[in-house]
Amino acid sequence: MRALLTMTAVDLRRRLRDKSVLIFSLAVPLALMTVLNLLLGGVSEGDLEPVDLAVSSDADDQLAGVVVDALASTGIVDVTVTDSDDPHADVGAGSADLGMVVPSGFTAALTSGEPAPVQFVMGDGAGLSGQVLVTVAQGVVEQLRGASVAAVAAGAAGLEPDRASQLAQQVLDAQAQVQLTQGEASSEQLSTGGMLIAGQAGLFLMFTVGFGVLGLIAEREEGTLVRLRSMPVRSSTIVAAKALTAFVLGVVATGVLLTVGSVLFDVDFGAVPAVAVLVVAAVLAATSLTFVVVRLARTAEQANVVQSIIALVLGMSGGAFFPITATGLVGTIVDLNPIAAFTRGLGITSGGGGLDAIGLPVAIMLGFAAVCLLLSRLIPNRGVAA
Amino acid sequence: MGQDGTSTDVVQVQDVTRSFGDLQAVAGVSLRIAPGETYGLLGPNGAGKTTTISMIAGLLEPDSGTVQLCGEPMGPRHTKIRSRLGLVPQDLALYPDLKGRENLNYFGALQNLRGKELRARVDEVLEVVGLADRAKDPVKEYSGGMKRRLNIAAGLLHRPALLILDEPTVGVDPQSRNAILESVEALSGEGMAVLYTTHYMEEAERLCDRIGIIDSGRVQAEGTRDELIHLVGELDQVRMDGTGDLTAATDALQQVPGVQRVDPVGGGLVCAVADAPVHLAAIVTAASAHLELSDVEITRPDLEQVFLHLTGKELRD
Repeated sequence: MRALLTMTAVDLRRRLRDKSVLIFSLAVPLALMTVLNLLLGGVSEGDLEPVDLAVSSDADDQLAGVVVDALASTGIVDVTVTDSDDPHADVGAGSADLGMVVPSGFTAALTSGEPAPVQFVMGDGAGLSGQVLVTVAQGVVEQLRGASVAAVAAGAAGLEPDRASQLAQQVLDAQAQVQLTQGEASSEQLSTGGMLIAGQAGLFLMFTVGFGVLGLIAEREEGTLVRLRSMPVRSSTIVAAKALTAFVLGVVATGVLLTVGSVLFDVDFGAVPAVAVLVVAAVLAATSLTFVVVRLARTAEQANVVQSIIALVLGMSGGAFFPITATGLVGTIVDLNPIAAFTRGLGITSGGGGLDAIGLPVAIMLGFAAVCLLLSRLIPNRGVAA
Repeated sequence: MGQDGTSTDVVQVQDVTRSFGDLQAVAGVSLRIAPGETYGLLGPNGAGKTTTISMIAGLLEPDSGTVQLCGEPMGPRHTKIRSRLGLVPQDLALYPDLKGRENLNYFGALQNLRGKELRARVDEVLEVVGLADRAKDPVKEYSGGMKRRLNIAAGLLHRPALLILDEPTVGVDPQSRNAILESVEALSGEGMAVLYTTHYMEEAERLCDRIGIIDSGRVQAEGTRDELIHLVGELDQVRMDGTGDLTAATDALQQVPGVQRVDPVGGGLVCAVADAPVHLAAIVTAASAHLELSDVEITRPDLEQVFLHLTGKELRD
């Protein structure tokens, strides 16, 4: 144990002294986080913008009022409704974001089964909110048309007007059970900023742990591995010291990145114990991968190239540069990516999940670690054997 | 001394073999080194030196045969006994970004030295290799010779019973080389067994009590310098330059006791004789009767000639 700690302490001192670990594990990812947040931070997140809606309709048209009320009470878009004689002009003048023209005789047309086209005028400021409102309006009109058709059908079938009216109301009530509510696409989804912080932390973790285990190859090239192996130290202790160095560097660097990132970009990753478990699991997964790289590479240069390729592939597919959504087989493969699992786990914790909620991502990362360690024992050694 | 295989031998290597695929690098090497003895292992490149050293240092497991250090088995799985070994690899085994003292502190700690003892040993070996005044400098700022000396110091820290020096003077300046050789002589004088490999014959002749010449994975000959020379039957050479009747001089020299062969070389003659200093007067007298001598030179056989005789190669091949 003493030899293990001695070797780890010297390894850490050397890594900190040459400053490369500080640059690649902290400075570069923080800089990238900043740049990517500036580029992507405001594009795909945030609440729907409020909309000024200019409506032209007959004042005494009942169903037109229903449509307007439906738009004003969606719950997801803050709508300010103003009556307008000419929505086209209002939108064109910029006094409204969205215009809606309900044709004269709208209620009569619907109840008689006649076409009653509602026109929308999209202004430059309507954006996604405007599209949402149009979709909602179309849905409401279709509901009304269904109810009207039911009433007309009932009348045609010889029902009493009151009974036909009840049927129509039942149709409307049934439709009303489908409600719009604003929610997250997934309970595991981080904000764009949080996604980038987590992804960058995961990506650079892959590089950071390389400063530990891949040091075995550097030791061989420096000639010091032969000396270490001639000393009263087990070979397994030499390897364990490199792994411990990687682990310490990985945990510290990832912890710092998440902390600094959350402060700089106002992201809350949730309960610290759960986040810590995710970090440890991610570091174990990343460290175990370097054992495979050590087996594959003959030189430090080869090892760095292989490690960089793997890190970038896992990082990109794990959402380090932009959010990734995939389905089917690709989605399954992406799900097994430890960086994706790490990111997903942080999504859970940021949404309030605790230790009991992160079992799956932790299991994926530990499973990845186990597979890598197994592979490292099975792959013939092309590089360094400690 | 343990040349006969006594229990006092620090190292006992018994008929070790090692192959790499179809290549048999070591085909049955045996050797012993006693305390205070410096054993030179000489051989051309590819002779099996490095593989033999790796097995003695416990880095490689022999395919067959045994290696014992201080009476205990030595091998990759035997960790504790390695505390009796000091290895100075041919390639520098230092951390260039650490200071000289930090390197020694680290290697000393891994040899289970602690606290005052570690500090004292570090100071001591720094004095031995003449680097006490540069101990606080990063190794990357050292000259090649200074790195070599620190490389040796790292192998001495824990007072090993056996110190393996694998070509420790390669690429060093004459001053550093002399310092290294003096250090090795001092260590041997303190009772440390030394296994020394080199491509410089003069180093082997100066340092080594016994020498093993290895080629094709086998020790071809072993003994002291004089034993090896005697073993291969190398003779002293007496060269005489002059003018006169070379044929008559040759006939006369062949009658001189001790002279085994006379050959014409250039404008003179060369006599092969068992012990030239003893027979020199008679040789010069016999030659002077027929030649007007302008120069007489004695050349005694050295290890280089023995090496060439045994391996058919120059030592630096």
